Amino acid sequence: MAAYVAIGGSSTGGYMHDALTYEGQQNSLAAILGSQFEMVGGSPMVHPSVASSSIGWSLTGASVLELGFKTDCNGTTSLSPVRTGPTGDATVLNNIYSSTNRNFGIPFLSSLKLNDASYGDPMNGTHNPFFARMASSSSSSILTDLSATNMTFCSIQVGVDEVLEYARKGASAGSLAPVNGSAGSGFTGSIQELMDLVESKGAKAVVATIPDVMTMPYFTTIPYDGLDLDAESAESLNQIYNPIGINFVVGKNAFMIEDPNAGVFGVRQMVPGELLLLNVPLDSVKCYKMGSVFPLRDEFILTLDEQQEIRTAVEGYNESLVNMANSKGFAVVREDYFYKSFSAGMVYNGVSLNAQFVSGGAYSLDGLRLNPRGNALLANEYIRAINQKYNARIPYADPIKYKGIVFP
Amino acid sequence: MSIFRCASCYSTDMNATQLKKIFLMFLTSGICTTSFSQGYQVNFQGQKQQGMASAGTALPQDASTVFFNPGAASFLEKGSIEIAMTPVFGNTLFEEDSTGVTGRTNSPMGKPFSVYALLRNKKVEALSYGIGIYTPFGSTIQYEDGWVGRFALTRLELMSIFVQPTISYQLNDKLGIGAGFVYCIGKVNLQKDIPVIDQNGEYSHAELSASASGMGVNAGVYFKASEILSFGLTYRSKVTMGVADGTAEFTVPEALAPNFPNGSFSSELPLPQVITLGAAFMTNENLSIAADINYIGWSAYDTLAFDYVNNTESLEDTRSARNYENTFAFRLGGQYKVSDLLSVRLGLAYGMTPVQNGYVTPETPDADRISYTGGLSLNLHEHFDIDLSLLYTHVERWDHNLETNLTGKYTTNVVAPGFALRYKF
Repeated sequence: MAAYVAIGGSSTGGYMHDALTYEGQQNSLAAILGSQFEMVGGSPMVHPSVASSSIGWSLTGASVLELGFKTDCNGTTSLSPVRTGPTGDATVLNNIYSSTNRNFGIPFLSSLKLNDASYGDPMNGTHNPFFARMASSSSSSILTDLSATNMTFCSIQVGVDEVLEYARKGASAGSLAPVNGSAGSGFTGSIQELMDLVESKGAKAVVATIPDVMTMPYFTTIPYDGLDLDAESAESLNQIYNPIGINFVVGKNAFMIEDPNAGVFGVRQMVPGELLLLNVPLDSVKCYKMGSVFPLRDEFILTLDEQQEIRTAVEGYNESLVNMANSKGFAVVREDYFYKSFSAGMVYNGVSLNAQFVSGGAYSLDGLRLNPRGNALLANEYIRAINQKYNARIPYADPIKYKGIVFP
Repeated sequence: MSIFRCASCYSTDMNATQLKKIFLMFLTSGICTTSFSQGYQVNFQGQKQQGMASAGTALPQDASTVFFNPGAASFLEKGSIEIAMTPVFGNTLFEEDSTGVTGRTNSPMGKPFSVYALLRNKKVEALSYGIGIYTPFGSTIQYEDGWVGRFALTRLELMSIFVQPTISYQLNDKLGIGAGFVYCIGKVNLQKDIPVIDQNGEYSHAELSASASGMGVNAGVYFKASEILSFGLTYRSKVTMGVADGTAEFTVPEALAPNFPNGSFSSELPLPQVITLGAAFMTNENLSIAADINYIGWSAYDTLAFDYVNNTESLEDTRSARNYENTFAFRLGGQYKVSDLLSVRLGLAYGMTPVQNGYVTPETPDADRISYTGGLSLNLHEHFDIDLSLLYTHVERWDHNLETNLTGKYTTNVVAPGFALRYKF
């Protein structure tokens, strides 16, 4: 553990509450693991730290989310995630390369880009700004910079961010990496190259599998049949939709969505099991008839087919990850099992935790990434895997020491 | 003209329903303690007996017999009045399995006390009257700030005072009976943190406080088979301490204040029945041996429930399984009269814990235990004497609590020196 290097996505880098912030970094998976390793002689972790006063920067340039009060289009004020500032802190993206950096947690990381020399080049349209800020130069790839480190132990958490990136937009943009294919064109080849590098450095490693992201609150909070109608509303919708065979009733109804394959008009109601995502503009739904008179667009929905596509890909990724890790003799942490058990709910030292949005206590306010407490629970799964594989005795982190959701 | 009737029911905004799950756990563990006896029972009701592992049902010696066996009180030749106290110094260390993190108690000194008076009836020699005021259940356990089990408990203060007017009647040379009516008053104060953080990073806090009262009896039979052998049998009934109007106070972030309304709650706590069979063996004028077996009806403590008057989605009534089991305690003590001035005592007790695996809580870090005791009496004056006693016990218990998943080992050490001042007449 003398020189621990972390490679991964949002959790590893500390992106949470939909932004990269100092506090998030200090409570990242890599930071928590680093401090536990320190207890058994590891050297202190070095992160590419954001200024501690920064309000953070999200992928879209917004500031970090916090729990506050929001008034909706109906004039109802309630507790809700809100941005801490009107815009994010762009200085977060300033390059702060240091040869001592050991946290390569890169939010929105894609496996196919691990060896892409333009991934950290701000002039390149497909670069990742969160890699660019830590890259040694605008022409270095992640693997180049990794090979310059002095690693003796490595955590590898690659895959979940790219799956999330596809899923969170309703599988409407981009595509998932093929399971097979060489480095840069397939998931397996890309990861193989990464693991080869780690092995060539003589380092040991723990490799994480990819969870079923569809259990995350971003995908599960809004019910597919949340369209609650009174008699008058049902009647007026029936005037529109009865001619194409869709009927609304008083009470709960499935939302209307666009679907090119659904008959002549390309619209239909959602069916049970389909997911309506948290990116849906709620005021439009509440007050401007989105999801009823105006069907919801593909980017807000994961259909059953889309979910299956994601699950099949993740199964393939995980099989590859486990096989490759086993052949290298690396430890494997089953994040997929962890998230699954977690979504069913658990109690830790008297604290009830589950996958519910905000109230579940372990997810951050973006509904996709864990908060500090969730990261600590996840870190303990890594420690368990490491201890088992390498017969080590790294103490577990105390998740209660790490913050859950802060209430106003 | 909105087309929607329920605009917020699928929103991401927090409403009461969505908040519900956060807090279900927060009040589900509860009252009851002490770190120095079985369950929350405290066996410090008489200094001579304490020196002999709290055995003495068949060995009446002074006014504390009002508690130990009302049936034996009438066999005492002298009336007396006494006051006794036993400062209890106990500390518990919890070591969590997975993290190795430790938490300690910094409980205040326990102060069980007793006051007894025993009067012989002037006209009917066989009749004695007595009164006992004593504290057979309760203490205070307090954990250091920020300890790992803070959401299960941070502090519990449980106090009960029993007042027992008693009549004892000697039927003949060998047999005595007696009974006392018990009125009990008590108070409880339970505190724990709630796993919700405010803007300053402070956890929320809950404090439940209440006074309680209950009634019961303490009855006994004493049989003096011979000059050297006697037996005693007593029954102390269960006393249910009812809380009708407790006060629940919550310190929570402003946004959650409506979810945690301060207000009233009701609850109850059983103080279990104890049936004791004792024997005493007076080998000669100077050496006495006493043995007691207690059968303690702990199964009465099946569930701890709190009913809140102001329920919300976050603050529901709670029911926590305790599932205590009936237990025995075995007590053996000896007393040797060194001189007219000095008597000395030794004792050994083995107590079985009523707390099953999976149900150990920070309130009752309880286990089967051996207690070592010693004591002495100084007969300073015809009318005045002093008793001293000392108890030591060491308790270890590992558990994985099924409700909170708190997992680790509790280690408790207790030292309890006691004294009594007595006036005889």
